[in-house]
Amino acid sequence: MSDLDLTFVDRTLERLGRRPEAVIPVLQALQTHYRYLPREALQRVCELSDITPAAITGVSTFYTQFRHRPVGQHLISVCHGTACHVKGAELIHDALRYQLHLRNGDDTDQDGRFTVQKVACLGCCTLAPVVQIDSLTYGRLTPHGVPEMLGDFLRQQGNGAAARRKLGARPAHAGVGEVRVGLGSCCVAQGSGKVFQAVQEILDEIGAAAVVKRVGCVGMCHQTPLVELTLPGRDDSALYAKVNAESARSIVLRHFKPRGIVRRVGYALTRVLDRLANDEDSQSLAQAALEVREGPVCAFLGPQRRLATDLSGQIDPTDLDEYLRHGGFEALRKAVSLAPEEVVAQVTASGLRGRGGAGFPTGTKWARVREAAGSEKYIICNGDEGDPGAFMDRMLLESFPYRIIEGMAIAARAVGANRGVFYIRAEYPLAVERIREALDRCRQQGLIGPNMFGGAMGLELEVKEGAGAFVCGEETALLASLQGQRGMPRLRPPFPAQRGLWDKPTLVNNVETYSLVPWILRHGAEAFAALGTQRSKGTKVFALAGKVRRGGLIEVPMGVTIRQIVEEIGGGVAEGRTFKAVQVGGPSGGCIPASLAHTTVDYEALTSVGAIMGSGGLVVLDDTDCMVDIARYFLRFTQDQSCGKCTFCRVGTRRMLDILDRICGGQGKHEDLEELEQLARAVSAASLCGLGRTAPNPVLSTLRYFRDEYVAHLSGRCPAGKCKELIGYYVTDKCIACTLCAQHCPAEAIAMTPYVRHHIDLEKCTRCDTCRQICPTKAIEVR
Amino acid sequence: MPCLSIDQREIDVSPGTTLLEAAAALGIEVPSLCHLEGYRPSTSCLVCMVKVCGTGGGRLVPACATLAEEGMVVESETEAVHHVRRTALELLLSDHLGDCLAPCQFACPAHMDVPNMLRQIGRQEDHEAIVTIKRDIAFPAVLGRICPKPCEKGCRRQGADGAVAVCQLKRFAADADLASAQPYVPFCAAPSAKRVAIIGAGITGLSAAYYLTQLGHACTVFEAQALPGGRLRHEYSPAELPPEVLDAEVTALLRVGIELRCAQAIDDAARFSEVRGSYDAVLIACGGEARDYAFAWEVAAGARGIQVNKETYQTSVAGVFAAGNAIRTKGLAVRSAADGKEAAVAIDQYLRAAPVTGVVRPFSTRLGRLEPEEVRQFTTCSNPAPRTDVPPDESAPDRAAGQAQRCLHCDCRGRDVCKLRRYAQQYGADPNRYAGQRARFEQHLQPSGVLYEPGKCINCGLCIQIVEEAGEPLGLSFVGRGFDVRIGVPFDRSLDEALGRVAAKCVAACPTAALSFHEKQSKLLPILGQ
Repeated sequence: MSDLDLTFVDRTLERLGRRPEAVIPVLQALQTHYRYLPREALQRVCELSDITPAAITGVSTFYTQFRHRPVGQHLISVCHGTACHVKGAELIHDALRYQLHLRNGDDTDQDGRFTVQKVACLGCCTLAPVVQIDSLTYGRLTPHGVPEMLGDFLRQQGNGAAARRKLGARPAHAGVGEVRVGLGSCCVAQGSGKVFQAVQEILDEIGAAAVVKRVGCVGMCHQTPLVELTLPGRDDSALYAKVNAESARSIVLRHFKPRGIVRRVGYALTRVLDRLANDEDSQSLAQAALEVREGPVCAFLGPQRRLATDLSGQIDPTDLDEYLRHGGFEALRKAVSLAPEEVVAQVTASGLRGRGGAGFPTGTKWARVREAAGSEKYIICNGDEGDPGAFMDRMLLESFPYRIIEGMAIAARAVGANRGVFYIRAEYPLAVERIREALDRCRQQGLIGPNMFGGAMGLELEVKEGAGAFVCGEETALLASLQGQRGMPRLRPPFPAQRGLWDKPTLVNNVETYSLVPWILRHGAEAFAALGTQRSKGTKVFALAGKVRRGGLIEVPMGVTIRQIVEEIGGGVAEGRTFKAVQVGGPSGGCIPASLAHTTVDYEALTSVGAIMGSGGLVVLDDTDCMVDIARYFLRFTQDQSCGKCTFCRVGTRRMLDILDRICGGQGKHEDLEELEQLARAVSAASLCGLGRTAPNPVLSTLRYFRDEYVAHLSGRCPAGKCKELIGYYVTDKCIACTLCAQHCPAEAIAMTPYVRHHIDLEKCTRCDTCRQICPTKAIEVR
Repeated sequence: MPCLSIDQREIDVSPGTTLLEAAAALGIEVPSLCHLEGYRPSTSCLVCMVKVCGTGGGRLVPACATLAEEGMVVESETEAVHHVRRTALELLLSDHLGDCLAPCQFACPAHMDVPNMLRQIGRQEDHEAIVTIKRDIAFPAVLGRICPKPCEKGCRRQGADGAVAVCQLKRFAADADLASAQPYVPFCAAPSAKRVAIIGAGITGLSAAYYLTQLGHACTVFEAQALPGGRLRHEYSPAELPPEVLDAEVTALLRVGIELRCAQAIDDAARFSEVRGSYDAVLIACGGEARDYAFAWEVAAGARGIQVNKETYQTSVAGVFAAGNAIRTKGLAVRSAADGKEAAVAIDQYLRAAPVTGVVRPFSTRLGRLEPEEVRQFTTCSNPAPRTDVPPDESAPDRAAGQAQRCLHCDCRGRDVCKLRRYAQQYGADPNRYAGQRARFEQHLQPSGVLYEPGKCINCGLCIQIVEEAGEPLGLSFVGRGFDVRIGVPFDRSLDEALGRVAAKCVAACPTAALSFHEKQSKLLPILGQ
């Protein structure tokens, strides 16, 4: 490797600085350039900067983003978020490894073409299970669809990147129609980028009096890609669901006439030809059109109340003028006109509590930072949303960057901070890009900078990317990470409000918390406090996913019941299945059984049933989900994400996982349940930080409500038919001997026996579920 | 000046005092592994948990990093807190790879400190060796000839090139001692004014007398035969056990001040009750004959002998103990020696009116069976020569030393200083409670003599701090995270380079001796007899 060009290291340090805290951005730059971290490059960094060999070793091995071995040409990330897990991510992962002939311990195929890695969550939960290959996202996968996906990817590579155009915004003009296309990360994954291009092309082609506009997440992820058309001079709009590039052309043509006689005539001709080629067109269009007043849409939107997600699907995320037209930055202007104490008082009066999970009163936190001694203070936006099954913060950052900036600026004004940082996880590139773009525009207009509102305040904000560590959502770990260290939490007190970033008083709030602040300032604390329950005010954004018909991003007033969310908004579980539980709060939360679905969305109510509000992941589970497996899934996650500092979390969660592995593998002993529960209580009582203290929650809540399932496992039975070691696949007499299963079985466990009922060799069978999914007569039974 | 209470005792401390320091000021020892004065609290081991009640809401906090506050109500020595500390210790132990004590020591019924003896012989420290031996075995010259050597079956070298010749080396040390001008006589405690009658001057009875006398109790041994020795006199041929060896060894151990009355059988109820009446405790150690007298003595007995509590050797009669072949049929001689020693401990407890618990077993984690590859690492630390016999008339002490140096040092170098071991013993932690899959046992010997055993590391990070503070250019760091986190040297360079000038400081600070010094470079003689 002596031929490695190290001049890039020199240039990077020139650009990013040589201070110890530059280590993470430097490593990120090196990895982007070299695709891994060559040792020579790391040594070069130490030679040329204040970064020590110990620091670079510690940091580069702490964060999962960093790789020390070369990777294949393409990186396949298999999402292991909660929603993906319950929809079979493990099977997809197995199928990929099988397809690429990966041996045990290898993650890259023989040709060095693909590297497969598991990732915690890509935040596209409604498309589960999801796989990302480089920057392309594939959703709703099945194990037998894996070869097709790889083929599609390679074809797209072959076509070249030329086809991809930058998805830009066009200025909106009054008196023109708008075609709004949702361009959140998950919409793009579902093909809305192509839809956007198609709309742009057809509008160009026909010269219609309309513009295509990218908007943020609409929330109706189960219907994406969504296209909404508004016509000049009309209030109503037309909404089309599950649009693809072809139908997009037809939709546009249905509403906009080609401009100019020549074009119209010329176009009419091709149009006729189009029709001939595809006379099902109008019918499929009718299917795609959604009436906003129509049942499902109405039900989905009905109980929702949009504060943090106000103007969702209507505005262009980075169009500052549009944000300003909708009253943007008025709240900040108002805050500047008030005494800082008054701003704190308003937030306190609103009853707003931290939306990151723990629900600490925001006003109290602000007051503490305001009262802390020192003139230099920091403000931090915690955008390290790492809960598998949660994507609220990503959506807010992508769709409403200005609202969050405004909320932060108000907070900065209130607490007296003049510097601030957005800490956003690196898995959210679009969010990073949009916040950066929004900040640039704000600076250009003087809304952020040293001299705001005629010198009334000054605020400098920058974006720092996380590097793949769930624990960095914990505020002291986040601060360590910002200071270029391993993201290891420390004991609190002292709290960041007293000693935070660089030992200065620091306010750390979550994305959603900030995004609610402008609304409170504009509409008043009373209006906010009028929503919700006695102790939980306002609204909460949830990522609704899992076994629910209408998944998506929802915002509901506090106090609605779990049942309302699952059944009214989400439309319940699929036909023939029964609603079993909801998992609220991700790895720190718990499972609420269907029998307690009357529980309200309220910090205290959720805690009392063994869950937590958490950051807002809400995964619906049905009767095919094994609760022991769910508990093990979350524990595996926290165990993997533990920083490794304290005994209870580092070793305790591993020993809990050992017990769960035993139980799921049919090796459980009767005293294991008692032992598991005791250990869970010790880990929860004695761990150093929130990660460890809450890690046992999924175990404790499932033990509390689904103990019978644990007991069944002890006697070698998985009631949901999920735990691989405890189930077998059998062919029933419904088999028509079509040989489809035999053709698709990746493990060659089914012999091709035309005209004779098939048989599955359980020794060879890997329980990949392909046969059951592919069987046309549902003749495969799991038991 | 915050005023707080710990276990209902109030104390004023200066601001910035930790709960650990405040407790120490009250004389309460809060255990801690990862804390070292003068360094940042690692808050890693969490063995120092205390409970903050009142405003603290009953929260468990690490005492090493929590500052005392006005009005704090802290609990340290309560069952709830001890339970958490024990759990922390048990979790650490579940991921702690090593043997505190060597397998040979556990294999020996008398739990003789075999490795220490071997190291002393290896260093030709003959006197120290006999002191070590006689701490557990009163008859080394005898047993060195007749013992079936269970210790050698536990030796890790057994499966490779032959076990270390433990038994012969023990005999070598014992013979050398008996042949010396002044055979070893241990120090005896001041007289306790308690008297113990021991029935039977066999290996059990004399062993018990030997240890009881050292503890300050006056012992009288009643022997039915004309000569002491019990079954040692007739079960072995003179070739196996020359009578002069037995005589010499008995004479040597009587020198501690044991009264021996031969040809005095305690064979009826009257004589037994007379003995009981004039002594503070009685030990029945007359072998199989005891069964015949049990009825007359009114002590409960079964088919195997006199019935006793297995831990304390107490019979059904208060103040009467029984051990050796009096309680079992056909025990090994070394078992009888062990019984005598253990009964002595229980009798001493009884005489001091302390709770009679019997011997407190030393705490030890156990590696269990090792893979040949794992055993091979040990050999880098020992004499590679194969096993050869050490004949009884060994005149060349080098040969014995060379054989002793074959010991692999399976016991931990930190066994006497390890905080984990100390607290595990104190808190009664069960090392197998959370046993998980065992990792590979590794030893990394550095040219400087520093030995690193990663399996013993508990990730306290003290070495990282020490090296950083010393400004060592390479440094150490945590590598990875979560359960797999470990201490690593940047860029795969050597540990010696990372530790630099502060290696000794790191070794001293390491709470579990994951870092230690290998004696090859310090005290051990050059390897002999190759």
